[in-house]
Amino acid sequence: MKMVTILPERCVGCRNCEMACAFAQSGDSCSRRWSNIRVDVSTAERFVMPIICFHCDQAWCMAVCPANAISRNGDTGAVVIDPTRCAGCKMCILACPYGNIHFDHEQHISRKCDLCGGDPECVKHCISGALNYEEIDELIGRKRDILDHKLAKVMKVHQGRTDDE
Amino acid sequence: MNEERIVKTLCRMCDDRCGIDVHLNGDRIVKIEGDKSHVWNRGRLCIKGSHGAEMFNSPERLKKPLKRTGNGFVEIPLEQALDEIAEKIREIQTRYGPRAVGVWKGEGVGFAQQEELARRWIHAIGSPNYFSNDSACFASRWIGNGLVLGPQGFQADVDNADCLIYWGQNPPNSHPNVTQQINRARARGARLIVIDVRFTQIARLADLFVQVRPGTDGALALGIIRELIANNWLDYQFIKNYTVGFEALKKYAQQFTYDYVSRETGCDAAWAVPQIAREIRNSMPRTGIVVGNGFEHHENGVNSIRAVACIDGLIGSVDRKGGKYLPAGPGLQELTLYNEKPLRHLEPLGADRFPVQYDFRHECHTMTLMNTILSGKPYPIRAIIMTAANPAITNPNTRKVKKALGSLDLLVVRDLFLTETAELADYVLPAATYLERSELVTHALFHTLTLTRRVLPPPEEVQDEYQFFHDMAHRLGAGDYFPWKNEDELNRWLLADSGLTLEQLQEAPSGFQYAQPRYQKYLEQGERPFRTPSGKIEFTSDYLKGYGYSELPVYIPPRTNIPDPDYPYTLVTGARKVMYCHARGHNLPALSQALTAPEMELHEANANDLGIQEGDVVRVTSRIGSIKIPVHIASADEIIPGVVQITHGWRDTNVNEITLDDTFDPICGFPVMKSVPVRIEKE
Amino acid sequence: MNIVIVGSSAAALSAMEHFRVHDRNSQVTAVTKDCGMPYSKVLLPYVLRGSVPYKNLTIRSEKYFQDLDVQCVHGEATALDRERHCIRLKDGRVLSYDRLLIATGARAAVPNIPGICHDRVCYMRTKEELDHMLPLLERNPRVAVIGSGFVALQAAWAARYRGLPVTVLGHRIMPTAIDEVGGECVARAIRDCGVQLLAPVDTQRIEHLPDGSLRVWLSGEEFVEADVVLVGAGTRPNIEWLAGSGIQTEKGILVDENMRTNDPCIYAAGDVAAGPTVFGEAHGMHSLWPTAVEMGKTAGCQMAGVDMPYPGSLNMNVTEMFGVTVASVGRIRNQDVDARHPLPEELGDGYCCVFEKDGRLCGASLVGSSEGVPFLGRLRPLIAHHEPLSCPVEELGWLVNKRAFAKAPREGWTR
Repeated sequence: MKMVTILPERCVGCRNCEMACAFAQSGDSCSRRWSNIRVDVSTAERFVMPIICFHCDQAWCMAVCPANAISRNGDTGAVVIDPTRCAGCKMCILACPYGNIHFDHEQHISRKCDLCGGDPECVKHCISGALNYEEIDELIGRKRDILDHKLAKVMKVHQGRTDDE
Repeated sequence: MNEERIVKTLCRMCDDRCGIDVHLNGDRIVKIEGDKSHVWNRGRLCIKGSHGAEMFNSPERLKKPLKRTGNGFVEIPLEQALDEIAEKIREIQTRYGPRAVGVWKGEGVGFAQQEELARRWIHAIGSPNYFSNDSACFASRWIGNGLVLGPQGFQADVDNADCLIYWGQNPPNSHPNVTQQINRARARGARLIVIDVRFTQIARLADLFVQVRPGTDGALALGIIRELIANNWLDYQFIKNYTVGFEALKKYAQQFTYDYVSRETGCDAAWAVPQIAREIRNSMPRTGIVVGNGFEHHENGVNSIRAVACIDGLIGSVDRKGGKYLPAGPGLQELTLYNEKPLRHLEPLGADRFPVQYDFRHECHTMTLMNTILSGKPYPIRAIIMTAANPAITNPNTRKVKKALGSLDLLVVRDLFLTETAELADYVLPAATYLERSELVTHALFHTLTLTRRVLPPPEEVQDEYQFFHDMAHRLGAGDYFPWKNEDELNRWLLADSGLTLEQLQEAPSGFQYAQPRYQKYLEQGERPFRTPSGKIEFTSDYLKGYGYSELPVYIPPRTNIPDPDYPYTLVTGARKVMYCHARGHNLPALSQALTAPEMELHEANANDLGIQEGDVVRVTSRIGSIKIPVHIASADEIIPGVVQITHGWRDTNVNEITLDDTFDPICGFPVMKSVPVRIEKE
Repeated sequence: MNIVIVGSSAAALSAMEHFRVHDRNSQVTAVTKDCGMPYSKVLLPYVLRGSVPYKNLTIRSEKYFQDLDVQCVHGEATALDRERHCIRLKDGRVLSYDRLLIATGARAAVPNIPGICHDRVCYMRTKEELDHMLPLLERNPRVAVIGSGFVALQAAWAARYRGLPVTVLGHRIMPTAIDEVGGECVARAIRDCGVQLLAPVDTQRIEHLPDGSLRVWLSGEEFVEADVVLVGAGTRPNIEWLAGSGIQTEKGILVDENMRTNDPCIYAAGDVAAGPTVFGEAHGMHSLWPTAVEMGKTAGCQMAGVDMPYPGSLNMNVTEMFGVTVASVGRIRNQDVDARHPLPEELGDGYCCVFEKDGRLCGASLVGSSEGVPFLGRLRPLIAHHEPLSCPVEELGWLVNKRAFAKAPREGWTR
């Protein structure tokens, strides 16, 4: 299974990923508000971080959805929202500890990364090479381990509570 | 049902020429993606690149020639338009002389041969007056580097450098896919230094970021030179064999002490200068210094660029692996007629005032043009044929530009859309997009030549560049200069001396590598291998001295270093946003949602003084006018206090309404668009 | 092993799913008193409003139970016999268990108001109650809502959304979810939507008028007339059937961090159970869908013999009503917090506030734009782990990402 991996040390915060995602999602606008990937930037703290859905193994958004609208796509492994079932209750938005789900004010449903069906636009527009769509399972495991490890260290979270507490 | 197919060609939404896969369904362009096999962008594209499809499919695209009448524009047949335009050109040349007609090349449809065709055509019909956007962008870097290294295509060898210095350039916005190249270099351990007025996106990757006031880069460069010399961090062998003027430069640089450099640039030079010099020492000669557009648009721009180029000479990085490399070109034939038919005796406009500029670039001076159109001095210019340029947005002093262009007897504008400049025209001709043309494009750093593909034929009354100049030349009795039937024949001719064939290039849609990298080619070229007057790297220039300029790359403080009480802020403009290329792209509905209006970046300290909050509208006034614009408050070191930044390119809030067209770099004639004194008032 | 799960909502479903992750062999039986497939209580107001189709209430299919290899038994549990390890159903059937999970949920509380037992006094807790209410609302009734908590206001918003005249009779607006300032924002939104909001008022009695309509008497001889009364006055856990079984209950069934009751073979989860919270309470009750999902997961794993300690529940809720998004996480009540820190208004998310107890983050609430919800989501782990409040509150949203991913400042960066 492929995954969008993030190398924040390469990110310049150009926001091409946001614009590309917005266009892929909306079909008619590159406005950031449609984007499912978001880049946090703080010049004062020298901080640039693109953040996109990790499609967690144990996705808390999926577990908590009271409309049973969130499922995992068998082909891509993406955790996806079924717009015909989503009630727009926003529970998933509140559930995501990374802030990766957003609300679509026009259709009144939640929106999140669906890996563009296996061909993510954000990666194709990442001119710095910070985003990659990678096949290698080991790499994913390693990255998630690093991520879990860092998060656990930061939060003093017991392992296994990272993705769904 | 039509099958979806992919055609490989190059993007021309800016000048980076990324490889693209154009997805077609029948004769409809469905989408554009990066070409994974292209060496430049490796499958990645910026947002405007993929929105080439939106541009191509835009319902606003011009498809028919337009003629201005008493009732506005009316559509007329192409042949009629060309006949009428030719007739008017003939009339004007008969009445006012051949040089009363000029041609002006812009970038709206891409670059490459378009420029040389325009240059060829104007000389073919007997006028020396070739104008372009280059007289406000790029040319001064060519001149500054050329004066020191010789006018050749030196480029930082990013892939092999151990230290990269991006100075006054922000690739993520202006050359997006260079960012991945820089990151690849960083990943193998290269250091990155960024020097800029603003903490730009590329600064986010920097090991060292140094912030300087606008127009003071020359002082920092000379401070670095002093430091390198003081520590003997030099390539003496190279200096001895291949340079002139070292002693004079050494002597001159002595005054650039930490104190002086700090005072001029605003940075802590006692910290910055030794750090930068040490990074250079550690990496030399694999030190790749990139001088950006930030150096231009200042009164002392060329000299500042020269000062930086002198560093290349001092450390012997010239044509070295990882240094200031001189890639070999593909050896295409030249289209221009400067040897055959030079026409300098006809006084190309501006060549008297800015002779260096004309010597190096054969460019006439667009700012002088506006005055000439309005005054008829030194001689009348009554017709301009403009191809894909939009000076009503991009040249300084918009009001004068519109007045001047509007008063011509004949203004012809070829473009994809009815631009602000096209609105002033007598004839508007629809131009072919880059997806409807076939040209030869070089990525010199990678020694790659690409034949771009005609993905789709242009609509019936839409011409490519060659066809237009061909048809006009034939109508004006200069057909001998345009003997080729079409672009393809022209391309074949261009390749004649290169040892390459069109067929070879067709088989390599992602580019044909025509050479392998070779370094230090000067070692095989005798004692005077460089293309300067002395044949050596010139720290001092007798040539410049001959024109009355200083022979040394002197530093002259920008006027804005002593603020004018009436205009206490320094306006910087000309820096791009990634979704637009100058004036282009703002009319595309989806793309333009990414950034709908310009803002003025103002430091929070200044904002506090002025009582301004995020989003407040202010009036920005220069000596020639004022505009109203909302404020974006910059925090930390995003911008130097006292400096404000406004991006150009918008029709409604057009910063060039207040930029100055009467203050120039005396060597290259560039307008001072990056040090405009302004005042700011809360609305 | 023989597993019996009583209930078929969030906790029960979560439990059986997680049980099956670890144990494919044991027999699992789910006992439900609901007819048909499991449905989502959370969606009831959305269906009432008309923004979600009725059929979408159903959130699991028969195939789901087949795939999970869970046998469904329709019936109502009426007694528990711990000695014989069995439960008795209303129709007399007896089901024996090795492990029992009680996930019988809670029902709408009926306040002690004279006259409240009436056909036109409605609740919004179950599908049956919705089925009862929907035809009543078809007839363009005047609606009075008793209560100003989460459920009451969702019902009021749904009725108003359908264009009905609505009067709300309540006290503080959602006192467990938002503070007074937030309450004022919601009150404004309620009134802006054309709803009459009377608060604070006490409902004294409900008079049944001859024409079938209702007169709701308030203190001070004032009254409101309505054709339909909607009540949202909290919930009561369904624990009556356990009377005499020896299972320890207070407000709900007392469970430990493994969702185990005082009987080691018996677990409880969801709205019926009172378990540990992240704030150190041993037996807190939330009556919230996410809490039920978490508790169900823990119970499911524990019943399969997998140790999955429960760190305590953290209340979280979110909804949109009267055109504003209301969300909250953790503790926000005056008596539970030391200080409140509103975020700068110019962030544009509305009234967003972070709450502090003993110098640490303990809660957050939002009344405003849904753009603020991801921020609260990012705060949730920080609240759960009692993060010391050491940076400007608006930067808290970055904290996790920043700490986990930001590069260490380099020499050149700090100058």
